[in-house]
Amino acid sequence: MAVQRRGDLFAGLFTAMAGPCEILLESCDEAQARRLAELAAAEVLRIEHKFSRYRDDSAVGAINAAAGAVVRVDDETARLLDLAARCHALSGGRFDVTSGILRRVWKFDGGDRLPSRGRVKALLPLIGWEKVAWRDPEIALPAGMEIDLGGIGKEYAADRAAELLAAAAPAAALVNLGGDLRATGPRGGGAAWRVGVEDPGREDHAERVLEMKGGGLATSGDARRYLLRDGVRYGHILNPRTGWPVRGAPRAVTVAAPTCTEAGVLATVAMLHGREAEAFLDGQGVAWWCHR
Amino acid sequence: MAATDRTFRSIRGALSAACALAGVGGVATSHATEVETAILGYTEPNRVSALETVVQARHDFGSGRLANFKVVYDALTGASASGAVPGAAVQTFTRPSGRGSYDTAPGETPLDDTFRDARVAVSGGATLPLGRLSTVSAGLYGSGEHDYTSLGANASFSRDFDRRNRTLSAGVSFSQDTVTPEGGRPIPFASMAAVGADQPRLAGDGSKDVADAMLGLVQVIDRATLVQFTYSLSRVTGYQTDPYKLVSVVDPTSGAPVDQLYEHRPDARTKHILFGRVKRQLPHGALDLSYRFMTDDWGIASHTVELRDRVALGGGGKYLQPHLRFYRQSAADFYARWLLDGAALPDHATADYRLGEFHAWTFGLEHGRDLGRDHRLTARVEYYRQVGDGHPAGAPGALANYDLFPVVDAWIFQVGYSFGS
Repeated sequence: MAVQRRGDLFAGLFTAMAGPCEILLESCDEAQARRLAELAAAEVLRIEHKFSRYRDDSAVGAINAAAGAVVRVDDETARLLDLAARCHALSGGRFDVTSGILRRVWKFDGGDRLPSRGRVKALLPLIGWEKVAWRDPEIALPAGMEIDLGGIGKEYAADRAAELLAAAAPAAALVNLGGDLRATGPRGGGAAWRVGVEDPGREDHAERVLEMKGGGLATSGDARRYLLRDGVRYGHILNPRTGWPVRGAPRAVTVAAPTCTEAGVLATVAMLHGREAEAFLDGQGVAWWCHR
Repeated sequence: MAATDRTFRSIRGALSAACALAGVGGVATSHATEVETAILGYTEPNRVSALETVVQARHDFGSGRLANFKVVYDALTGASASGAVPGAAVQTFTRPSGRGSYDTAPGETPLDDTFRDARVAVSGGATLPLGRLSTVSAGLYGSGEHDYTSLGANASFSRDFDRRNRTLSAGVSFSQDTVTPEGGRPIPFASMAAVGADQPRLAGDGSKDVADAMLGLVQVIDRATLVQFTYSLSRVTGYQTDPYKLVSVVDPTSGAPVDQLYEHRPDARTKHILFGRVKRQLPHGALDLSYRFMTDDWGIASHTVELRDRVALGGGGKYLQPHLRFYRQSAADFYARWLLDGAALPDHATADYRLGEFHAWTFGLEHGRDLGRDHRLTARVEYYRQVGDGHPAGAPGALANYDLFPVVDAWIFQVGYSFGS
């Protein structure tokens, strides 16, 4: 863990969830800042490990490896599955943690290689949360299906780490997991946090400075992940019902909400609304930024 | 292609609730302005009924600056025990105004049925941060009813310690109350006069000063547990006699009432109150347990134990909250259910059951739910039962046959609605 002084703050830097992460702390000495940042980082790494779809020994890995058998899950996993189920229902089926297997055929590398209609269609029977038998605490996926909690895991980790810091830190703290943020409250004197984050709405990912006083902020979308074929741009947000990229989706959506998890779900669901992303966001009563 | 102008349903409220259940609810969605309204009904069958309306608003100006405002309107009607004892014959009592009377049947507890009043109370206050860890608050209070007015002010200071895990606070409040009873203030221990006779009255209004001081500690024990301790000292000086209450003088042999005297209480009272509370978040909801001890120089000591257990019921902010409360108090030194004819008068005496020895249970259930994102509904029902000694030792003659401390049963209903913007 690298700890840097930044003005009257300390920043703890580490890598997790496939990106750079930082913990900003106020009113600490360096040793205290290191201890607190390590506490927060340990929570983030715990969640990454537990919900990784790449590890057979993770909670998600065990569910995916069960090949149709019933798996009993722990309480934390159960709460996240409940959240996934709610998000699926609230988004009219757009937010679907079973859609990750489409990655097998879609590679958003900036090239022009689209998968064949037949290959995409062949995967559709394996997608759809409604096919999952989830009855707390037991889950059974039809053989061949997989779940991926990556769509909420990073935001959830930011919230959990921030809540640990809210209890343990002497003053306000901010958790930044690769641009998904959660602050425990305003800085001393009610001042806002100023955070530089990469702007995923721009292909050069120039840094943008955000100000926030509390709550969560999350971004969905990545302008570098697309395919271009015959002058048509295919963004990386996939519609779980068709298996094809959502048409007319913004390049990125950023949402501010009381928690990072809520912000992340709203940003993702907005992307899934395609051309109607702005209209959807207008109806939510949150602050948002859309990059077309 | 232009975005459509379709309007979308908000999923934010339901999503917040789902996130809260996933353990990342941390911060409730807060609004700059929050308004709470409630209607409360209180009824003691065949006795007092009250209807209370409360509207309160709170505005957050940001940076820890808050203002609040509250209006309460109460309407009370019905009859309350006057303090006089039952008798074997019909008893006639003069109304407090001196113009008119009411009769109490043999064996019945005398009830003053002229109890009818409306009260309006208004209060407001503000909280300001003082540096990073301290806040100061101040407020004003005023209430009026046809025979009672109260004006008060309060101020408090609090400071956070130990990484905001501990908050110490200190506060003071003062109020000045004026009593202008219907028909004037009776002369203490004077005999009730018949209708048409000169009523024994003191000159002028009664006034009372109340000064309170409070010290408090709130300590966070762990992520799920919080404890609170408060010590309060209250000093009341001035007219504290209830101008509508009587003490019966009875024949030492037959127990028959021979005279009705207006009660008389001391004009100073000092109370000490200790309060402790534990609140704990549990997997199913939250538990809130508290204990309050009060002792005063009138000889009253009281104990209150209260338990609330909030059980979350799935999404939508739905919960069910059982409430259990037990209260017991000892009698004031000068509490006398009757006085004996021919004996010397004590310095002070009251037969008001509220200053007697009794215990009481409250059983309640509250339900709350969110109505969309910014609206919330709560409903509460409670049953209260107060029991004292209806057959105290030494009751002379016929008094031994009567229930001298009838059980009080009351029902409380409340509906609350709150919203933010």
